[in-house]
Amino acid sequence: MLEVRNLTKIYADGTRALTDVSFTVKPREFLIVIGLSGSGKSTLLRCINRLVEPTEGEVVVNGANTTTARPKELREIRRTIGMVFQQFNVVKRLNVVTNVLAGRLGYSDRWRSLTGFSRDDRIAAESALARVGMGELSRKRASELSGGQQQRVGIARALAQKPSLILADEPVASLDPVLAHTILNYLEELNQNEGITILCSLHYLDLVQRYATRVIGLREGRLVFEGTAEEIRAISDAQFRQIYGEDAERIGAATVSEE
Amino acid sequence: MSSGTKLVRGRVAVGLSAVVPGIGQISLGKLQRGLLVLAATFSMAGIYIWQIAEIGRRADGFWPTIARAVERRPGFVIFVAVALVSVWVLNIADTSRIAANMQSNGRGGRPILFVVMIATFFVIGWQVSEIDLGRAISELPDALPPLSRVLWPWRAAIDHDEERVSAFQEFAIVPRDLVGVPQIGIDVPIPETARRGDGEPYLGASPTVGVLSIQDPETYELVAGSRFIANGFGFESGKQLDLWWEDEVGNQFRLRKDGEFVAIIPDQSGSFEIELTMPYPNLTPDMRDGFVTHRLEARQVYLGAPKASEALTLSVSRMVETIIMGMMATIFGIILSVPVSFLAARNIMSGSALTMTIYYLTRTVLNIIRSIEPLIWALIAVVWIGLGPFAGVIALTVHSVAALGKLYSEAIEGIDRGPIEAIQATGANRIQTIIYAVLPQMISPFISFSIYRWDINVRMSTVIGLVGGGGIGFILVQYIRLLDYRSAGIAVWFIAITVALLDYVSSEIRNKLA
Repeated sequence: MLEVRNLTKIYADGTRALTDVSFTVKPREFLIVIGLSGSGKSTLLRCINRLVEPTEGEVVVNGANTTTARPKELREIRRTIGMVFQQFNVVKRLNVVTNVLAGRLGYSDRWRSLTGFSRDDRIAAESALARVGMGELSRKRASELSGGQQQRVGIARALAQKPSLILADEPVASLDPVLAHTILNYLEELNQNEGITILCSLHYLDLVQRYATRVIGLREGRLVFEGTAEEIRAISDAQFRQIYGEDAERIGAATVSEE
Repeated sequence: MSSGTKLVRGRVAVGLSAVVPGIGQISLGKLQRGLLVLAATFSMAGIYIWQIAEIGRRADGFWPTIARAVERRPGFVIFVAVALVSVWVLNIADTSRIAANMQSNGRGGRPILFVVMIATFFVIGWQVSEIDLGRAISELPDALPPLSRVLWPWRAAIDHDEERVSAFQEFAIVPRDLVGVPQIGIDVPIPETARRGDGEPYLGASPTVGVLSIQDPETYELVAGSRFIANGFGFESGKQLDLWWEDEVGNQFRLRKDGEFVAIIPDQSGSFEIELTMPYPNLTPDMRDGFVTHRLEARQVYLGAPKASEALTLSVSRMVETIIMGMMATIFGIILSVPVSFLAARNIMSGSALTMTIYYLTRTVLNIIRSIEPLIWALIAVVWIGLGPFAGVIALTVHSVAALGKLYSEAIEGIDRGPIEAIQATGANRIQTIIYAVLPQMISPFISFSIYRWDINVRMSTVIGLVGGGGIGFILVQYIRLLDYRSAGIAVWFIAITVALLDYVSSEIRNKLA
C-alpha cells in the first residue's frame, strides 16, 4: 500500500531531518510513528504526500511513485491521501461544511470549484461530517468550535477525500487526554470499518500501546525501532532509551512527554 | 575591590556629582540614572536662564535683568532657584547613598531627587507655556455668546423668503421752473373694482404730476415739493405698510413725513389715505433732464414659508463631499497599497538579498510617508493642484497608501501556513489553495483595515479643508473668519454627527469581522 525507500531529507539550512528511512505499510494497518520532537516524524509524513520535497529516496503509494510525479499526477495522488494535523489547520474564517468540502477540491474541475461544489460533493461532505458527529454544526464558523470539534472537522475533511490512506501528524497533541481518545477512536473506527490505512505520529506511549497495530520509532531522523503492537506493549527500558535517547525516562507508567 | 578603595571611589563620586550633577552616579556604574540626572539638571538650568532673560528683557545689564525678572515673576524665579539648589543637593545625597550601598550591594539612591525634578519641570513648564488660569476664567464671559452659538446653532439653519404684497402709482416729475408747483385739488380717481375691495391691492394718488423738493442752491433753504394725497385699497388691514419712492434710475428709498419713516396701518377695509410731499431727489439736479417718471410703491412684507438656510444646505452638501473625498482616497489607497503591501511583507520577500533590499526600501519609504501628517500633504497638494477636494483626495491617498500598505503587509505576514498546507494536501491546485486557504485569512483584516481607514480619512478630510483641501472644513474656516458662529456651529455639528456615526458603524463592522 505504501512503500518508503531510502528516504533522506536535508533542509535548505542544512538540517538533516531524515536519513535513509525505509519501511512498508500494508493495507488496513494502523501504523504509529514515535519519536522525540524534532526526530523527523512530521517531515516523514510530509514527504509522503510531498508537502515537503524529499532530497533522496522514493515513496510509492498504491503503486504510484509520488517523488517523480508531475504536478497534475501529484494532485491525483494527494487526493487519495487524507491528512490530519496537530494544529487542526481548519480555515477558521470558513464555515464547517466549506472546510469539509475543501476535501473535495482535488476531485472537482479546475474552474468549477471557483463557483461552488457539485451535489455529490455536498453529499460526501455532509456524510463525512455526520460520521464524526458534527452534522448539526455544519453551518457554524470553524473559529467558533472547540479544539476537539476542530479536529473532528479536520478528520471529516480527510474523510471527504474518500482516502485509502490517512496521514495524522500528532493529531491529539493539542488536546486533553479524554479528547485524545475520542479522536483516535474515530481514526480506529475508520481503520477497522472502512479499511483506511492510518499512518499516525504520536507522543504518548499509552496511546501508542492502545491503538497501534504496528509501530516504528524515529530518532534523529533514523529508523531505530520497528515492531508489532505486542512488542511495543512489552517494550523494555533499553529499547525505550534507544528511541528516546539515553537521558529519557519513563514518566508515570507509560507516558512520554516532551523532554 | 576592598572596602577601602570602595570608600575612596564613593567620595570621589560625591565630589564629581557636586561639580557636575549625574557624573558621580555614572562613575559608580549607574549610567542611565546619571545621564538622566545630567540631562535633567542641564535642561532645567538652561530653560531657567532663558526664561529669566525673557521675563527681565528690556532691562540693561546682568543684575538689572535679574532684578526685573524677580520683580515681575517673583514666585517663579525664587521657586525654581530653590528647586534647582534642592536638586543639586539631592543629587549629591543620591550619589553618596549609592556609594554607601555599593558595599551592601543594595540598589541605593534617593528617589525623592526625581520627585523634586518632576515638580521643578512642572513649574518651569507652567511658565514657558504661559499658563494663566485666571485669564481662562476672566475671558470666559466674552467667549460664552459665540460658544453658545456654536453649541446650539440651529436658528441659522432656517431661513424665510420675503413675500410682498404691493401696488404702485406713477408720477410725472416736471422741471420746477416750467410749471410751478401743482397742488392738491383734484380728487383721486379710483376704479370701482378697487373701491369694492376685491382683487389686487390698488394705490392711487392725486395729483400725479409734480415737482420734487429741493434745497435752494443759494439760500440753502428747503423748498418743499408738490403735495399729494395717496389712497390705497385692498391691503391687509392691521398689517404695517411701508411707502417706497423709486426714482427714474431705479433707486428706492422709504418715504418720510415730518422726518419719520412713513408707516401706515390700513383700516378694517384694508384702505388708507395719507397726504405726503414729494421727496428730495437722490440725484443732483444737473444729472436730470426734463420730464421723468417716478414711482410710489405701497408695500406690505410677509415672512414666507420656512426653508433650509444656505448655511444648512452648504453644510450638508460639503459634508457629503467630505465623506466622498474620504471614500475616494480610501479606494485609491486600497488599489495602490495592495501591490505595495506584498513588497513590504517579510514572509513574501524573504527569498533573496535583492527581495530583502526591496522589502527594507519599501518599509522605509512607507514609514517616512506615514510620519508626515496628512495636513502637510494637503498643503503640498494645494500648491500642486490648487484649492478644492481633489487636492484633499491626493493628500489623503498618499497617507492612506502608506498606512494601509503597512497594515496589509502585516496581515500578509500574519497568514497561518497550516491551513494552506492542509488545503494543498487535499490535492487542490494553486488557484484553489489561494481561494480556500489564503483569501479567507486575508479578507477579514483587509476589510477591517479598509473600513477603519475610511473612518480615519473622513475624519481627516474635515481638517484638510482648513488648508484648502475641499470638504466641510473649507466652509467651516470661512464661517469662523466671518465670525458667523451659528453657521460654523452647523458645520461643526455635522462633522461631529458624521464622525460619531462612522466611528460606530466602522467599529461595529470590525467587531463582526473579528
